[in-house]
Amino acid sequence: MAKENEEKAKQPMPSIGAWAPAVALGWLIPGGGHLLLKRTGRGVLLGVAITGMFVCGLLMRGAMFQPQSGDLLTTLINTGGFIGDVCSGILYLLTSWLGYAQPDLAGAVHDYGTKFLVTAGLLNVLAMVDVFEIAAGRKD
Amino acid sequence: MTMNLSHFEAAFLFSLFTSVVMGIVTKSTDRERLQYGAYVFVCFMVALFGIGWAMQLGHG
Repeated sequence: MAKENEEKAKQPMPSIGAWAPAVALGWLIPGGGHLLLKRTGRGVLLGVAITGMFVCGLLMRGAMFQPQSGDLLTTLINTGGFIGDVCSGILYLLTSWLGYAQPDLAGAVHDYGTKFLVTAGLLNVLAMVDVFEIAAGRKD
Repeated sequence: MTMNLSHFEAAFLFSLFTSVVMGIVTKSTDRERLQYGAYVFVCFMVALFGIGWAMQLGHG
């Protein structure tokens, strides 16, 4: 296992043209990168799971983070949360443009919603890494 | 339109979506993906009930 990982690490970086379009599409449309690389089943499942999580977060009236500076914890939480939200791609952009982003409300359900929104973005990052590995030929 | 879920329902949905993605991105064959996705989901459920009961018992 360790040897296998070492061999993977030694593989040369593929050209940017080989993976950038698929990764970019994967960011913009969750599951889109897999669809572009003809991994239809996986792409559809990822799209449904990530979009489902994001929509559930919105319906629970979760809040979108905005980058804020201040003490370390405030900066870390708000900037990290904002990056997580942005990683959802078109879902985040549409939510912001169409005015569905909601202010932070007190309550357990809204808090869950906020976490759902950020986690959808983080899951999309995992999907983008998977797309990169497939496009680079490191994974089927 | 809003969703008003209980803690359990929200955690269940969270576990379900996360397990699907974890299963797909971490393994290389469909069989392994299905097994790992199910394993992650069961781990979430065990942690959910375990921590829930620990809080209940700790609360007194």
